[in-house]
Amino acid sequence: MVRTSPPTKRLRRLGAAAAAAVLALVTAGCGNADSAAPAAGAACAVSGGKVELSFWSWLPGIDQAVALWNQGHPDIHVTVEQTPQGNQGTYNKMFTALKANQAPDLGQVEFDSLPGFRVQQGLRDISACPGVADAKSKFVDWTWAQASVGGDGVFAIPQDTGPMGLFYRKDLFEKYNVPVPTTWDEYAQAAKTLHAADPNLTITHFPQKDVNWFAGLVWQAGGHWFTQDGRQWKVNLTDPASTKVADYWQNLLSQGLVSNYQGFSESWNKALDSGQIATWTGAVWGVGTIAKAAPSTAGKWAVAPLPQWTKGAQRSGNWGGSTTAVFAGTKHPAEAAQFALWLNSDPQALAILTAQGGIYPATTEAQAGAKASPENTQFFGGQDVDAVFREAGKGVSQDFTWGPSMEQTYAHVRDGFGAALAGNGTLGKALTEAGAATITDLQRQSIPVAK
Amino acid sequence: MVVAASQTVAGVAPRPRVARRRRANGSARAAWLLLAPFLIGFAVFYVAPIVVALVKSFTAVTRTSTYGRPVEVFAGLGNYTAALGDTGFTGSVGRVLLFGVIQIPVMLGLALVLALALDSAVVRLRRFFRLAFFLPYAVPGVIAAVMWGFFYAPNLSPVNQLLDPLGIHPDLLSGNVILYSIANIVTWTFTGYNMLILYSSLQAIPPQLYEAARLDGASGWTIAWRIKVPIIAPSLVLTGVFSIIGTFQLFTEPQVMAGVSSAVSSSYTPSMAAYAQISAQNHGLGAAMSVLVTLLIAVLSWLFFRITRARAAL
Repeated sequence: MVRTSPPTKRLRRLGAAAAAAVLALVTAGCGNADSAAPAAGAACAVSGGKVELSFWSWLPGIDQAVALWNQGHPDIHVTVEQTPQGNQGTYNKMFTALKANQAPDLGQVEFDSLPGFRVQQGLRDISACPGVADAKSKFVDWTWAQASVGGDGVFAIPQDTGPMGLFYRKDLFEKYNVPVPTTWDEYAQAAKTLHAADPNLTITHFPQKDVNWFAGLVWQAGGHWFTQDGRQWKVNLTDPASTKVADYWQNLLSQGLVSNYQGFSESWNKALDSGQIATWTGAVWGVGTIAKAAPSTAGKWAVAPLPQWTKGAQRSGNWGGSTTAVFAGTKHPAEAAQFALWLNSDPQALAILTAQGGIYPATTEAQAGAKASPENTQFFGGQDVDAVFREAGKGVSQDFTWGPSMEQTYAHVRDGFGAALAGNGTLGKALTEAGAATITDLQRQSIPVAK
Repeated sequence: MVVAASQTVAGVAPRPRVARRRRANGSARAAWLLLAPFLIGFAVFYVAPIVVALVKSFTAVTRTSTYGRPVEVFAGLGNYTAALGDTGFTGSVGRVLLFGVIQIPVMLGLALVLALALDSAVVRLRRFFRLAFFLPYAVPGVIAAVMWGFFYAPNLSPVNQLLDPLGIHPDLLSGNVILYSIANIVTWTFTGYNMLILYSSLQAIPPQLYEAARLDGASGWTIAWRIKVPIIAPSLVLTGVFSIIGTFQLFTEPQVMAGVSSAVSSSYTPSMAAYAQISAQNHGLGAAMSVLVTLLIAVLSWLFFRITRARAAL
């Protein structure tokens, strides 16, 4: 058999060429990632003319609010893309899009993820854009503080907040003659009494994966997981307040007084609906959650302030809340900021977002007028639940800071909590280990961190 | 192409060299042209991501301050030592090894038994059973996992409701059991798929072999064990390798289970560990983990081939 030209050799040559092309592509890709650099304190001029903006959000009803904007602003047209919730893939998509210079002009980003986006050079400073500085006074102080990530700019406009309160089964507390707890000690006592009265009943569940719930309770107790000291981060998941909260829940867990359901799971819904859970230390947006999860318990629920560590105190924590962030690489920061401001402070826009998306807004004016839907009010036996949360909001301390890599911190805490639930270690140990692991994470990303 | 060329050479009288070369070049050009769409796709969508992952696995970022611009730098084997020192990651590798050692033999054993049963004349309604066993594979992984999650959750499961009066309260989502609960989902999904591969190679065996064996007095059992299984051994090896690869790539089922069980950590399987790093924008470490898992899969598959080939030779 005679072969004229050896195909293998050619194939190899072609392969080499392909590999070279690929490498070129790769390096080109790397180069692009660096070019999207948001300068801090950048000037912000109005583009003028007709402007097209793109916006990613997962808030129900956002399309209606955007439609309203487009009606009134023929020169600044916003196209909204409705995405899955941030941690369910949208943040990943945003990061990838930012690397590829394909990111939208604006996107929904939760407060705890803002520092991470800024670390990855994903945010545009809009502090110099028209109207932004003046808007500061409209918003709840801590929301503006968190939207100015690091304190040297404004990178997002706050959208909603989640002051925490105590959802409880009024009928069950009455039935078993248990006073509604005003302190955490009373809450633990109630946990015992209720469980003793009905072995199928637990006071609440311990939502292992909702670490931001736990962080909200730490926030209430006056803990600080992250502080930025000069140019270094200080990570401390085991300050006295955090340890107090961890030990408290560990004690309830050890006594078998709280159940092990994942928050928002079908199992949890079932347990709520069948009257096996007596309370939930949730946030204001939970009004809709609980009404939907436990329809057969309508009329039996009420809301009280979060139990306190010191009798008579009026402190609360915050769980959740989003912003409308302006992404690096936008060609129209002024228009983007204008839209973000309108979306989150205009009464008409907020009316849509409150009714459709169930949000509790971030402006003081809108919070004052917030009112749950008639169905939800009915679910809570006619109680004005927003009045409770409005008070709670006033008790949220202003100086809580999220870390620069919250998703990893959450994962470490979550894993440790899971182990503790299985009997390996305690919640306190989980926090200690998560703190150490977070420091390693930050070092790997060469984010300056104190050891 | 080679065959065609040699036929030409053999069948036709020799021609002047130049003409022949030109013709060969012409057909080669046509071949490349026809191959081009595939090769371009192959390079862009297959080779490129692998090269990117490899390159990334040797990089890390440096920045001058928290919000300073990250600069990608060569990190040597730093990510690899970090991955190997990460107990979450190494633990996940041990976990899937245990998973594979138990789940793969069970699944392939079941698949083999079902394939043999379908192949034997005993079973009626062959077409119905073939479809019935294969059906779970057609159910998207996430949906299957969510469905099984309902079965496992103690306060939702109809099984638990039946067992409750007997005083039995199994929790299939708890730490000691969840791995096997996940193995059950995977077995349910993939047994039919593997059965189909084995069954189709059984169908390819010439029936004369069975006739000869029967004339020699072989029973149905002997035929199955001495003739059918050895002949389809290559298919068994193939399904074995697929299963090893699949086991190391476990992601969907544990990820869904994590939503209902507190026993599934964020680095429960190697794929989840790598995904967690990539989600945190720690691309170097995530890539290093992916490369390590790929290497491990390659080594294990090679070992499996070696062992099974040695067996076959015996």
